Amino acid sequence: MWKKVYEWLDERLGLNDLYKNLLDRPEPKGNWWNTLGSAALFLFILQGVTGIFLTVYYTPSPDHAYDSINYIMNGVAFGWLIRGIHHWGATLMVVVVFIHMLRVFVTASFKYPRELTWLIGIGLFLLTLGMGFTGYLLPWNQQSYWATTVGTQIAGSVPFIGDFILKALRGGPDLSALTLQRFFSAHIWMLPAALAGLIGVHLYLIIKHGESNFPSKED
Amino acid sequence: MDNETKQKINKRYERELNRGERFWPDSIFKDLIVSLGIFVLLIVLATFIGVDAQPKVDPSDTTYIPRPEWYFLFLFKFLAIYGQIPLLGKIEWLATVVVPGIAILILALMPFIDRSPFRYYGKRVLPISVMAVIVVDIVMLTIMADVPTVTENGSMLPGILQAIAGMVIPLVAIILLFLMTFVFRRTSTKTMIWTAAISAVLTIGLTGSVLALFPVPAAQKTTVATTLVDQITAGQDLYSANCTQCHGDDGKVTKIEGVKGLEGKLIPAIHSTDVLYTLDDAALAQVIAYGRPEAGMTPFGKTYGGQLSASDIDNIVIFMRYTWDDRFEAPKLKPLFPPLAAGEVPSYAVHIQPIVKRYCLSCHVAGKENNNFLMDSYDNILHTGDHKANDVIAGDANSYLLQVIQGHPIPDPKDPTKTLIRAMPPNGHLPPNVIDALMRWIMAGMPQTAADAAKLSVTPTPAAGSAGTPSATPTP
Repeated sequence: MWKKVYEWLDERLGLNDLYKNLLDRPEPKGNWWNTLGSAALFLFILQGVTGIFLTVYYTPSPDHAYDSINYIMNGVAFGWLIRGIHHWGATLMVVVVFIHMLRVFVTASFKYPRELTWLIGIGLFLLTLGMGFTGYLLPWNQQSYWATTVGTQIAGSVPFIGDFILKALRGGPDLSALTLQRFFSAHIWMLPAALAGLIGVHLYLIIKHGESNFPSKED
Repeated sequence: MDNETKQKINKRYERELNRGERFWPDSIFKDLIVSLGIFVLLIVLATFIGVDAQPKVDPSDTTYIPRPEWYFLFLFKFLAIYGQIPLLGKIEWLATVVVPGIAILILALMPFIDRSPFRYYGKRVLPISVMAVIVVDIVMLTIMADVPTVTENGSMLPGILQAIAGMVIPLVAIILLFLMTFVFRRTSTKTMIWTAAISAVLTIGLTGSVLALFPVPAAQKTTVATTLVDQITAGQDLYSANCTQCHGDDGKVTKIEGVKGLEGKLIPAIHSTDVLYTLDDAALAQVIAYGRPEAGMTPFGKTYGGQLSASDIDNIVIFMRYTWDDRFEAPKLKPLFPPLAAGEVPSYAVHIQPIVKRYCLSCHVAGKENNNFLMDSYDNILHTGDHKANDVIAGDANSYLLQVIQGHPIPDPKDPTKTLIRAMPPNGHLPPNVIDALMRWIMAGMPQTAADAAKLSVTPTPAAGSAGTPSATPTP
């Protein structure tokens, strides 16, 4: 019975091909340092899931953002857990992505034929930092408000186009409802979309070229 | 890279694959273990450390010291150190844009800069040791991020030490490493590793001494009321301290009495549905923040020159809603102080301080009309005031304080037709259990701490703060 169901599905989905091409691949001998990429992917998914839960209650407006977070922390069942995981997950994701990058740098895995994988990886690292920066403002408390004030000021110190960048980030000369809306949009739509797309290409390249081996004296 | 090298690399990779493992299940197994470990770690962090509550945004409070998320702290410190450099430090965009931009560009273009086909660590000493120096520097800059660059008495020493540790040593090491590779080509690998290691040790050591010599100033701990019960309680204390003088402790006052400059002024009763049903939270908060200057109400919000932060005002609004607005059902509030058993003596720390904070401090602080009787600390209650000899006398029921709170004004000894001190509080009465607590406290000799009070108690004190026992504690 199950065999028949599987065969029916396999005919239509190509499960056997998927298994052969994605899972049953040979790999060089690895160790625990090789798990950092998948750990970053896991954190990205976890941030996505907890983030989606948070948007159920979070309101990106100066009048309600702070209170809605307060409600998530004290009113919603297990809201504190979801927010706690999202908060600490952000920290851990930056750490894991950074160490992942260091590992690739030290073993020179970025060299032929994986140059593009590295380039996209740097993009993923910068996007992760961008997620941290935009997410920091959303609780709309003193800490986030003033950190973003300074952060956008720094972005605005670019010669010639600094003023434009500052206004584009803030949606005006000062932090306001527009800034919050903008950061929210960037945090839940723009940056995650870019991240997901680049992660897709990153994964494709890893499957295409295989995980790199740890270098020995021959390399 | 020519085709021959490429083929060599591919062949070599093929060989590694043949003596390697399978993606499924070997690699996936390890990946799953690590992911599970991370998940458990996150749950532990969320449960036992959680997320710190912060006060609400207050754009008017420019004294707030901005602090970015921790992974940007090293950039923050780098900027602070850079800003000290004479002349160059004034050109901010060099440090904010050019340096980080070049660093990221170099990092991104690494595969195109380092074009040698070699991957073994021993053949890549330069990039690995430069990266090590930079990573150690980033970690150390993060660790000393909270140490100011200038001490309180204006000494530049911490800033100079930080500049040496976080900028000079790593820079010298990196320049040396490049010189060794490209100028003195014969430098041994060992020398380069030693250079990196020594610079790292120096950076770490100097950071350690900066931390030891100039301790990080303790961050101001602000308690933020987050649960509804805490918010209502905080709001009630703030209401008592800021609003009762004019509006009374129950919001019923329609004609102000005993307030200089506003004597006899007619005001709407703020506990009425007229006010509570027609003004939403934002409007109420705005009234408190901006005041009604034309009607005599001064601004209370920091934005307009008052004392209250945005969070404070929100808490007052919450207190008003849950106390007077019949559409809101108040949760069970904690009593103001733990109920007193027979023979138990209250202490300043546990009982009197919360009472004073709620009922007396609106007037009995410096700068208000109060015969100079300040009640903001234990010592001030005992030793301030124009009538300090008589205000609080241990074991004497004729202490002025005890007389006035029971509704007996103190007549002027020189002219008995005049009153020296009015009955207190000026509008309304204290609840009986509060009067009882103050009476017991003064009669027993004003113990300051709970331990002092326990010694004076006649019967052994039952477990303090026992919840659930019905008490006559004022519910608003």
